[in-house]
Amino acid sequence: MPYSAEPVMAAGIREFTFHDGGGPVLQGLDVAVAPGSLMAVLGTSGSGKTTLGRLLAGWLPPGPGGNLIGFLELTGTRLQFNGDAGDPRIDPAQWGRQVGFVPQDAGAVLSTVRATVAEELAFGLENSAVGRTAMVAAVEQTAGLLGLRNLLGRHPARLSGGQLRRLAIGCAIITRPPVLIMDEPFASLDAAGARELGDLVRGLVKAGTAVVILSQMVDGVLREADNWIVLADGTVKASGTPAALEAGSPAVLAGIRRIKDGPSPGGVAPVPRSAGHSAPALELRGVSFGYRKDGRPARQGFTWQRRQGSRTTDNQSTVLQGIDLAVHPGEIVAVTGPNGAGKSTLLRHFNGLLRPTTGTVLVQGEDISGKPVGSTAAAVGLLFQHPREQLFERTALREVRFGLDRLFGQDEAGERASAALAAVGLSAAAHEQPAELPASRQRLLALATVLARKPAVLALDEPTVALDGDGLAVLDAAVRSAAAEGAAVVLVTHDLGYARSAAHRTIALDAGRLAEA
Amino acid sequence: MRLHPLTSLAFAGSTAVITTAAASWPVSLAVGAGALGLSAAGGTARRLVPAAAAVLVPLGLSLLIVHGLSFPEGRTVLAQFGPARVTAEGLAFAGERAAQLSAAVLALLVFSFSVNVPDLVAALASRGVHGRFGFVLASTLTLLPAITAQAGRIRQAQESRGLVIRRGLLHKVAAFRLQAIPLVLSLVEDAGTRAAALEARGFSSPGPRTSYREVPDSAIQRLLRMLLLAAAAAAVVWRLWLAGTGG
Repeated sequence: MPYSAEPVMAAGIREFTFHDGGGPVLQGLDVAVAPGSLMAVLGTSGSGKTTLGRLLAGWLPPGPGGNLIGFLELTGTRLQFNGDAGDPRIDPAQWGRQVGFVPQDAGAVLSTVRATVAEELAFGLENSAVGRTAMVAAVEQTAGLLGLRNLLGRHPARLSGGQLRRLAIGCAIITRPPVLIMDEPFASLDAAGARELGDLVRGLVKAGTAVVILSQMVDGVLREADNWIVLADGTVKASGTPAALEAGSPAVLAGIRRIKDGPSPGGVAPVPRSAGHSAPALELRGVSFGYRKDGRPARQGFTWQRRQGSRTTDNQSTVLQGIDLAVHPGEIVAVTGPNGAGKSTLLRHFNGLLRPTTGTVLVQGEDISGKPVGSTAAAVGLLFQHPREQLFERTALREVRFGLDRLFGQDEAGERASAALAAVGLSAAAHEQPAELPASRQRLLALATVLARKPAVLALDEPTVALDGDGLAVLDAAVRSAAAEGAAVVLVTHDLGYARSAAHRTIALDAGRLAEA
Repeated sequence: MRLHPLTSLAFAGSTAVITTAAASWPVSLAVGAGALGLSAAGGTARRLVPAAAAVLVPLGLSLLIVHGLSFPEGRTVLAQFGPARVTAEGLAFAGERAAQLSAAVLALLVFSFSVNVPDLVAALASRGVHGRFGFVLASTLTLLPAITAQAGRIRQAQESRGLVIRRGLLHKVAAFRLQAIPLVLSLVEDAGTRAAALEARGFSSPGPRTSYREVPDSAIQRLLRMLLLAAAAAAVVWRLWLAGTGG
């Protein structure tokens, strides 16, 4: 329950605009956060959540970051901004001591020059000259809170997505700021990770921290929030207690995913197709794979272990073991498993980005070993886990067109690109810079790049992460229509609800082995 | 005994200085061979040799052209092309300089490939070197791997969309042309977010800092560093004195 104390942080935003000459990104928005309370800022992709979070956290300081008319208040000090040269300047370091921020891209908070998780955690303390004994104690305590104790000696670059997010949260709370703001902290966490994060948030709130969570999805701990603010088009659409808003008009929460309702707009699982009659579009036979200790893949023909005829040794960590899988045209198969189970590694075998240590991958009956990835890509469309790794062009349209010219010729390439953009609802964003799109639209754009090729095999890595309700509906429709047109679809997800509703069959990947779920 | 990074830096630096001051064939060759041996023993030879070649081959060639072909004091003419005379003395001088240079470069490269960067940054920070300098130093050494990894990710994304990269350097260079713009864009974008994160974590705050990482040091190593620096200084003084007396 919130203390009846003065808010530790407040903002009154009459208007906030970027320096790009566009219209206001935020307007008519009042926020006040009490110590020991939890607030959820909900909104669909592009509603202004991230901008609000960065503004409150001092990552987007008024002045250099954009033009603010209004005020920001922190621990009793109010800064008034009129959008002119006389405005006060925020010192990000001073602000950062009071407000911890975990951005959506957790990896971005890392200093990149610290060699272990422990040192990365200590970075903020080092900069404020905390003594070493106190630092060691703080690192121990924070690591304990976040379940990072066993990883303290590991290089931050070697963490999985879920572990990286926990480290980013640790970096934000180790200095014990009275306010903690997290942007989409639940995206990319599996069920266990989300539960642990929920417990952590409850603990922080109990200890008096004001926690603000920005999310396009209502899940677990957010239902226990003291209040919700629903954002749309940069302004407050509604605010109140979770119970009041959930009981109110459904239009208020439109587009926000609510896990309790079942994540799929389609609801019921599609009817299994008579898949057994045709030859598989994708087949894995006895595929095993491991990374060597130095982090490189142990490739066929390259490992001395193979030449010695031994199985995996201490020098190699096994990720996949004897995987057999056949996916037929028109079939949708979901592969589930916890964070770090090797799901992404499995998908990267489908087009040859990773080559099996032993075993064979066949696409449309043909062994792809020795074929360049670029050739296999004509038949296999791969949606990466992180859309930012997949998008590299200057505009959304160019992005979708990349490589299509060579396959289909100029005219058809243009048509296909426009059609794919329309299919994911991004026609209006054709000339926007992909890097500047909100996360949900980045994923849909990445999906469009895959759909435009109409591949025989569609491999999707965590496609639901970062999607809001509307985005999920687009994804679901696209997957179903691709399957209906005869594509074999494999989707890897930790979202069990979505897996069950979208797939003909669900397979669990655990400890490197596949089992029908 | 694990060497403190400043001790290895003192070793490498004083070796380079003394070898240069000694200006003697046998010393240069011995130091060069020693450096290669150390590098091989430490398992860094594979990275060190190409880096050394990239620095030394052009330098060696230019020495050869400058001194080998036109050495005014040269008497023993081996070949003559117009005004250019290849003399035995010129070749010997160029060879000596190249050996000297190689020894110094190899000694410093052995250090830079073997030093534990976090240790070095921590050691400098604890001596009052500003965090920003340490960060730049560390970044220069971590930047290349980070860029390579990012370029690799972009290449994988492009290959997954049908870019076929054939074997051979020319094909790889042609493919890299496609990765260059996205690479630069993504690095710039990353740098923006990272800068905000670093600022918020107090990286630019003035005032003292502490270091979480402990770098073991000892009285013996401190003494050793003093001796090495003194030896390097003595070598320079000796060399200057020789030059002053016309030796």
